[in-house]
Amino acid sequence: MATKATITLSSDIMPNYGGYSKEMTMTKAGALTDIEETTGFSRRKLAATTAVDLITMADASLLLETADSTSAKVYVQNVGDGKGTIDKSTYVTISIGDTGGTPQPIGRLYGGDWLLMPVTGADNKDVVATPSTNDAVVLEYVMFFEV
Amino acid sequence: MATTTAAISLTSDLLSDALSVSTTTTCMKAGTTADGLDQMDTGYIEIPTGDVYDILSLQTSDTQIDKANKVYICNESTDETYYVSVTVKAEVIGRLYAGDWMFIPWGAEHADSDIGLESSTGTNKITYTLFHEGRTLLAS
Repeated sequence: MATKATITLSSDIMPNYGGYSKEMTMTKAGALTDIEETTGFSRRKLAATTAVDLITMADASLLLETADSTSAKVYVQNVGDGKGTIDKSTYVTISIGDTGGTPQPIGRLYGGDWLLMPVTGADNKDVVATPSTNDAVVLEYVMFFEV
Repeated sequence: MATTTAAISLTSDLLSDALSVSTTTTCMKAGTTADGLDQMDTGYIEIPTGDVYDILSLQTSDTQIDKANKVYICNESTDETYYVSVTVKAEVIGRLYAGDWMFIPWGAEHADSDIGLESSTGTNKITYTLFHEGRTLLAS
């Protein structure tokens, strides 16, 4: 039961930069045992600049609550308007925190951009999405985690 | 135009049908479709225990603030019990265990939105690359 992510970076910015490729097998904290839980792959359409919880760590909708501060990874991609148009001039800010508080911004996913990052799974460390405009934007996302 | 691409292949057999996602993005400057990120910093560093160490930091009014920077960080340690806690503006966002990597946009919304790492156990070996569109240089 393996979950793997491979990144391939290429760039002509720096002379002689040969690019980079790395495979990661997602394992439980401090072990070689594969991660066993996932939210499943999801898709959500946003059409307002309001911050929303994309993934709520304490939400029963996960079926199994994440264990705090263990091993969990989140993948999110801005796929544009969901109808084939990808706008590189608008973005969705991805933050960690609670929409009821002041989430910590991580960065901006412009059209087509993706991220994969570790999250703690702690109850107040939700994955929050805030579009830059009221135009429709679709995010695809999945979390792999421990319980 | 400088061209930087980041591709991911994500596979999992946790579901009843195999999950397979592949995508590639071209890293552009903030808000443009015509100009790619054209500067980069890359390095390899050992992070000892004992404190949070900033591997990417900002200056006041830094030109990186509110931009489309992209950051790759990998924990190259081989002992599976090793990890670093990743912080943004001193807020822990998650743990990178040995062999784990992350790729994120770094909006750098504030001058103190530094990216820091704190080793839990032993000295962790880290590679990182920042793709950006320019930063404020410090005069000597």
